[in-house]
Amino acid sequence: MPLLSFCGILLFTGRPDRGGAFSIFNIAVSFVSSLILFFSIWNQDPLHQQVDWFTIGNTTFRVGILLNNLSVMMMLLVSLIATLVHIYSTRYMKGDSYLFRYWAYLGLFCFSMFGLVIADNLLLIYMFWELVGFSSYLLIGFWFTRESAVRANKKAFIMNRLGDLGFLTGIMILFTQFQTLDITELFAPNGLVAQTILSGDYWTFGTQQMPAIWLTLAGLAFFFGATAKSAQFPLHTWLPDAMEGPTSVSSLIHAATMVAAGVFLLGRIYPLFDETVLFVIASIGAFTAFMAATIALTQNDIKRILAYSTISQLGFMMLAMGVGGFNSGLFHLVTHAFFKCLLFLAAGAVIHEMHHLKDHKGLDFDHQDIRNMGGLKKYMPITFITMTLASLALIGIPFTSGYLSKDAILIQAFDWAEGKGGLVRLIPYSALLTSWLTAFYISRLIFKVFFGELRVPGYNTAAVSLHEAPAAMKNVLVILALFCLFPFFSLDPLNYDSAWLMEGMKSSPRAEHTASIFHTLIPIVVNVIALLVISLAYFWYVRREKAPDFSGNPLYRFSEGQWFFDKLYFRTFVGGTTSLARSSFLFDKRIVDGLVNLLGKVGLVLSVISHWVDRYIVDGLVNGAGLLAKAIGNFSRNFQSGRLQYYLVWMLLVVLTFFMIKYFSLAI
Amino acid sequence: MIPLSHFMLVSAALFCIGLYAVLSKRNAIMVLIGIEFMLNAAILNFVAFSRHDKFAASGQVFALFAIVLAAAAVAVALAIILNVYKYYKTIDPTEIDQLGD
Amino acid sequence: MNIEQIVFYFLSAVVLVSALLVVAMKNLVRSIFLFFLTLFSMAGLFVFALADFVAITQVVVYVGGVLVLMIFAFLLSNRDILNNPDAVKINGKFLTAHHLPGLVVSFLFFTALMFAFSQFQVDELEWIAASEGNTLSPSDNTIELLGINIMTRYLLPFETISVLLMLALIGAAHLARKERKI
Repeated sequence: MPLLSFCGILLFTGRPDRGGAFSIFNIAVSFVSSLILFFSIWNQDPLHQQVDWFTIGNTTFRVGILLNNLSVMMMLLVSLIATLVHIYSTRYMKGDSYLFRYWAYLGLFCFSMFGLVIADNLLLIYMFWELVGFSSYLLIGFWFTRESAVRANKKAFIMNRLGDLGFLTGIMILFTQFQTLDITELFAPNGLVAQTILSGDYWTFGTQQMPAIWLTLAGLAFFFGATAKSAQFPLHTWLPDAMEGPTSVSSLIHAATMVAAGVFLLGRIYPLFDETVLFVIASIGAFTAFMAATIALTQNDIKRILAYSTISQLGFMMLAMGVGGFNSGLFHLVTHAFFKCLLFLAAGAVIHEMHHLKDHKGLDFDHQDIRNMGGLKKYMPITFITMTLASLALIGIPFTSGYLSKDAILIQAFDWAEGKGGLVRLIPYSALLTSWLTAFYISRLIFKVFFGELRVPGYNTAAVSLHEAPAAMKNVLVILALFCLFPFFSLDPLNYDSAWLMEGMKSSPRAEHTASIFHTLIPIVVNVIALLVISLAYFWYVRREKAPDFSGNPLYRFSEGQWFFDKLYFRTFVGGTTSLARSSFLFDKRIVDGLVNLLGKVGLVLSVISHWVDRYIVDGLVNGAGLLAKAIGNFSRNFQSGRLQYYLVWMLLVVLTFFMIKYFSLAI
Repeated sequence: MIPLSHFMLVSAALFCIGLYAVLSKRNAIMVLIGIEFMLNAAILNFVAFSRHDKFAASGQVFALFAIVLAAAAVAVALAIILNVYKYYKTIDPTEIDQLGD
Repeated sequence: MNIEQIVFYFLSAVVLVSALLVVAMKNLVRSIFLFFLTLFSMAGLFVFALADFVAITQVVVYVGGVLVLMIFAFLLSNRDILNNPDAVKINGKFLTAHHLPGLVVSFLFFTALMFAFSQFQVDELEWIAASEGNTLSPSDNTIELLGINIMTRYLLPFETISVLLMLALIGAAHLARKERKI
């Protein structure tokens, strides 16, 4: 359906205002259909239909759709959030002159996302994966007249391409080993991957044998693909920049759906991973979560804070995947999709209003900077309430959905680390620390935006004309806020085990539960300290009591500079490439041109010298030599004339010479 | 029966005439004509040799393909020439010696 | 010297002379019309190689299509010459420095080709000598043979060519279109 709207809108571009209604209708229909699908598939037998696609040699590629618990859940999630975002966008994007293009891209994105979740063949997934990346590229660069937007989408595109390389490598390794890319054949409980034997140093499947390292490599390659899409370290830097796109897009793509595609991919091919890969996944996830949380502490752009928070939460999901908490990772994916989408949309509402204020009063200030906001609680109560609710979910306060999923991850991480020693223990503790940091930065955001007084520079706060967001936006916020509450996921607000999503995912392998002390201890510790942290933030930012000034601190600068990843990458890769290009340009200019010119000059100098030497002997000879040298100089300069026909002449002469050498050597 | 070598002689001469046009003409359209000469010379050889391959007719079939491809090439090349003319206001290949803009 | 040979040599002379004139002519319009003559007599040569269908295709495609295209391109790119034909500056002789490299190279190429022909006897090539029953005779229906071959043995190249033709069509249309203001 979204594809239909993409095509339809592209065809009928004349009516920008009608495009919106059309695509909302389409996305709503796909929402309803995925709802129906969800109820018919959930916890039933997976539906799997295939047709022959094409044949290479003896291998027939079959494509089709595979609907199991995982994919119908994702479908429902994507279509629900997409519908809400569509509705939200009707108001948010109102008045943009290229609105029809916006709807068309959004439709393309939804289509490719649906394709990604239902495809049953790795190759097909790869194609939709690319399509998703491409449509997100289009949407980030939607305001392509802005220099920074263009840069951001280029960056996102390149980073994603890097990851795709990993994905493709993984596909190739798998294909070499198994001669098929069908997901059910590969990853079913008694599928091909399960049949392989890992004996000694060899990874054996039937008659095929490979060194065991390839299994690890394949896992790592897929994971690398997932890191790019899910913005994990070291490929995370594109996500904050992607915030140049419209806020509704950021909310749909860069918070709720596309970035989850990496996690989703890991979920689909989960049986492939061996211990090493899982460990890498867990440590990268934990590290990313921690790093992004520290960066989020000091950012001032409201969207950037949320972007880093997204990266951090994605790190949590990866961590969950790595420690064997397949179901809790996906559970967190779902809950996170809702509350992060809500956070973004609420932030969008705030930005919208601030922007209006800016336009209205003709003031010049950064409407996304939280230092300029404050006291918005009075003017936008509903936005305030919904955003607070989402933040509570993000922190993981009891009775919200975030509590269920986040604590599930933490507990599983502790369970996992229990059996291992040494540095592995750092992983759950860093996750714990990260969740407190999360509490701090999100409360900082809330307090700065909604409490206190409006801090717009040079503006009299008495005559504020701010008001609540339009109804379409407001309703969406309220609906999403409802989804942040626990009853949608579990009837028992304190025990994640009874969440129906967890039950549904339990068919997945390696999900084991051992009751331990962590089950009760961790939620308590987490929440008590989180509350403490929140109150600290409250005192710092609302009461302004002894808010310490960190700006001189090197750690602060480290964090504010986003760990200097951008600079590092710029220096190493971009700088490297440019300097390579520059050096080869210099080589061309200096050496090649120089050689030619040098030849000419040498010739001239020679002629001058010979003129000097021979002046007294034979005048004519001297002139002849000088002319000859000049002619040689000019002659060799001709090689670089840039004229096509001369190049051709020289080329043919070389061919002829070879021909003659060949023939005469034959004749002799 | 005309001997094969005579066909080859004509085609070699035509090829070299085309080569000359390509190498030294100062008008892109003439260069294109030179390329057409060279292609025609090759086609002539194809066709001449095809006489000894009656059932597969490979030479004639490929001559047909070559003609069709040449037509396509001419269409594209002329479009390029027009664009170059629009941009440089000349179609002299010796004056168009810059790749970038 | 029978009539067949006479006509063949006459046609090849026409081809070569007109081709030489095409490249030697200063006036582009005349060149293009002489090019037409060359192509026509090339079609005649094709007939002598017992390839009547190719000859007809040559006439249809080259004379009907390519030549018209060329004239169009000429009209579009040399408006100033057309407006005042007298202003065409006839500068330089046939043997100028600019023409010299091309002349030398093509002449060398011709010698190389001649040398190559003299080295091997084309009529005594193995597969040609062995093709006794496989040789076309003037009474054969080449069109039928061609049609069967294209539709069976050469089907893949045929389809590829058709796709390529479409690509060229789109490409040419795209290149030549006017820049639309967005």
